Amino acid sequence: MKRRIKAYLPFTINELKRQMAYKGAFYLFILVKMFGAFINYYLWMAIYGSTNQNTLGGLTQGEMVIYIFMAYLTGTIVTVSVSNWVSEDVVQGTVAMNLIKPIDYRMSLISRASGDMIYQFLVPSVFIWIGLEIYRAAVPGLPPFSAEKVLFYLVSTVLSFLIYVLFDFCFGMIAFFTTYIFGLMMVKQALIAFLTGQLIPISFFPEAVQRVFDFLPFSSMVYTPVMIYLGKYTGNKLFFMLLRQAAWVVLLYLFGSLIWRKVTKRLVILGG
Amino acid sequence: MIEVSHVTKDFVMPKKYPGLRGAIKGLFSNEKTVKRAVDDISFQIGQGEIVGYIGSNGAGKSTTIKIMTGILSPSDGTCFVAGIDPNRRRKENAQNIGVVFGQRTQLWWDLPLSESFTILKEIYNVSDQAYREQMEFLNQVLELSAFFDKPVRTLSLGQRMRADLGAALLHNPKVLYLDEPTIGLDLVVKDNIRRAIREINEKYKTTVVLTTHDIGDIEELCSRIIIIDEGKKIYDGSLEALKDTYGTKRTLSLEVKQIQKASGFSPAEILGVREEECITELDFENSLLKITFDGHKLQAPQILSTVMNEIEITDIQLKETELAEIVKEIYRHGTEGE
Amino acid sequence: MMRMKCRRYLRLYRVIISQFFKIILQSRVDFFMGLFGFFFSQILGIAFLYLVFEQIPSLQGWTLDQLIFIYGFAQIPRGIDHLFTDNIWMVAWRFVVNGEFDRYMLRPMNILFQIISEKLQPDALGELLVGILLVTRSMIKGIVITDALHTVLFFVSILAGALIYTSIKTFFAALAFWLKVSGPFLQVAYETANFAKYPTEIYAKGIRFMITWVIPFAFVAYLPASFFLKAGGSPVVIGMECGIAAVFCCIAYFVFERGTHVYESAGN
Repeated sequence: MKRRIKAYLPFTINELKRQMAYKGAFYLFILVKMFGAFINYYLWMAIYGSTNQNTLGGLTQGEMVIYIFMAYLTGTIVTVSVSNWVSEDVVQGTVAMNLIKPIDYRMSLISRASGDMIYQFLVPSVFIWIGLEIYRAAVPGLPPFSAEKVLFYLVSTVLSFLIYVLFDFCFGMIAFFTTYIFGLMMVKQALIAFLTGQLIPISFFPEAVQRVFDFLPFSSMVYTPVMIYLGKYTGNKLFFMLLRQAAWVVLLYLFGSLIWRKVTKRLVILGG
Repeated sequence: MIEVSHVTKDFVMPKKYPGLRGAIKGLFSNEKTVKRAVDDISFQIGQGEIVGYIGSNGAGKSTTIKIMTGILSPSDGTCFVAGIDPNRRRKENAQNIGVVFGQRTQLWWDLPLSESFTILKEIYNVSDQAYREQMEFLNQVLELSAFFDKPVRTLSLGQRMRADLGAALLHNPKVLYLDEPTIGLDLVVKDNIRRAIREINEKYKTTVVLTTHDIGDIEELCSRIIIIDEGKKIYDGSLEALKDTYGTKRTLSLEVKQIQKASGFSPAEILGVREEECITELDFENSLLKITFDGHKLQAPQILSTVMNEIEITDIQLKETELAEIVKEIYRHGTEGE
Repeated sequence: MMRMKCRRYLRLYRVIISQFFKIILQSRVDFFMGLFGFFFSQILGIAFLYLVFEQIPSLQGWTLDQLIFIYGFAQIPRGIDHLFTDNIWMVAWRFVVNGEFDRYMLRPMNILFQIISEKLQPDALGELLVGILLVTRSMIKGIVITDALHTVLFFVSILAGALIYTSIKTFFAALAFWLKVSGPFLQVAYETANFAKYPTEIYAKGIRFMITWVIPFAFVAYLPASFFLKAGGSPVVIGMECGIAAVFCCIAYFVFERGTHVYESAGN
């Protein structure tokens, strides 16, 4: 076990270093991504201003502010685009080379993605989080800070990260069949933003649609940890939600292995 | 055709400091370093000349070419090509020149070569008649027709170079700039390219300016060479004069029967010249006696007879210093005393 | 003389573009996937509005149908600019920093024209399609004014809007001549356009000022769109849009032109 971790750690560290190197551009990209969060913020403020109801989709205005930024933050940590790397490797023909090395290609990608996640968490996210905690303390009517919730949030986020990365690995396999997955990536990105709850809380969808979402992995990627953070899930419900996330990790892992075996067989036959 | 006078080009760069603290310091400081890539260079090139423009990496060759083509503006001095300042009247100048950068194609990567030529015909406003005639000529010297319908990205390096040369010549420019036109090519293709350049020069009296690291290019094409080093012009003249001035060292390589006999043997002493004008080296492994001498002072038979008096010889070889050696020597020392 | 020059440029544009049509036709699957990608991500934006309006009757006085029109209208100038001038992005990211820009400097034609004419971005048709569908929907619903004046100004506004997009893109791409890579800045500027998909009244004063006067995307989307929605609006808005387009065009072109003179080709 120890030896295995040792083999994959360099992927994590390299990715961390790589991210550090581009810091100038990186901050601008954060700004770009933050635009989306701010547009969302103002839009929701206007929406709450246009109604007499106190809660929309089960959230008060104060909770919604936390939801918007927390969903943004969780989204940036979790959605590390592994499929981009896969398609790069396919285009450059380095996948076949990876098959020769005594390491698991998927594990190396996940390790690399962990480096990305850690960096995204350390650099922008922590500061936004601190800001949100100050907001939470300043605005009356919001539940107080609780170490327990934060802990469960972090556990849930790590599970979310695994779900997303394992899912995106499967998605990246498309690159073996078509040279142009740019269009599909756009579709995926838009769908992920929409279905994971980054754009709008899942509770805004019609009941029937929400039932369907229960059987898809997307809401487990962002919506679940943010709701845990907001204290919307407690007791058995919280336990169930975490269990569901874990189940998705296992399912997507198995599914990914299956596809990978098919793809590598094809790779051997065709010669990657 | 080309008049370059007192051209200087400085590149200004923000000063960099080492380490993380340096990176932060760099964000706030406004200090700049100036790098002088070309330093007060002047020369004139007449119509129909083929001039080799040589220098080591980073000597300022490409910068000068880019100033003459209008890509860069000089920091100081003036440059005129066919009476036009390339930087002020870029478009008019572009119509007069053709450029080939050996390491980078000017063609459209995804398009078939034929379509690239169709586009270039429009860009350079070439009439139908002139296009037909020129294509016929280019086909003859560059043999483009073999791969005329293939996309540029599928061409081999040699084919691509021929295509690029053809593209640069479609509008029959007055001046042709070639930046490393034979880099990475095999000998046969190199030879083809050189022949094509000669033919074009003969037919149209096209002025050719050529930068290269390949001494063969220069020996076969150029009647005149300009050498620059660290941004300064250090030589401008004919190839023969250069060889005469710097290429006077010759080496006599003698295979001897008993190399032991040669130790302590000094022809310089016997002939009465200074030690550095006639240097003796011994190669025990191959039984070789190498004598390097100044061609102005001594003649080969003179030395040969001195040696044969003392030692039995089995084989003889006489070598002139190669141009590559001369150029290397000049980079190393500059041209002191010139 | 001038006319001959124009005809030469037009002829060249036709030659180059027809080549790229051939390439697009050769890779039809890629083409449809790109188009679908853009189409789909815009459609989700509309789905978002639908979900929100399940909860509220109107947003600060704007109905769902009106917001959909604004959203759709915003896509059209964006799509036009995206379709025709996408290659400008390459100046910001690649051409300057790795010296590929050299080749445009070596040809006897306008540089910006050469860059723009080298590529059509068919993905943009996805945005255009969404825009046209949503605007058509609004016309059928009868919520837009379609008298002669408004119809003419509609097309004027779209062209001016596309021009503003192109100018902003050119300006930020031209910064690459000084910075080597200006992609991140261009991206930030370009993304601010998303603010103008919604009525600008919802934003804080600072942001509103920014997107109206500094990076004037409000004049591309929300402001002209509301002119077509509400009777009695003054056509001065469209006039201002055209004025801004003209001013930004000149600034952007001037900066780009200055930039080509300070261009330091790579490889030194």
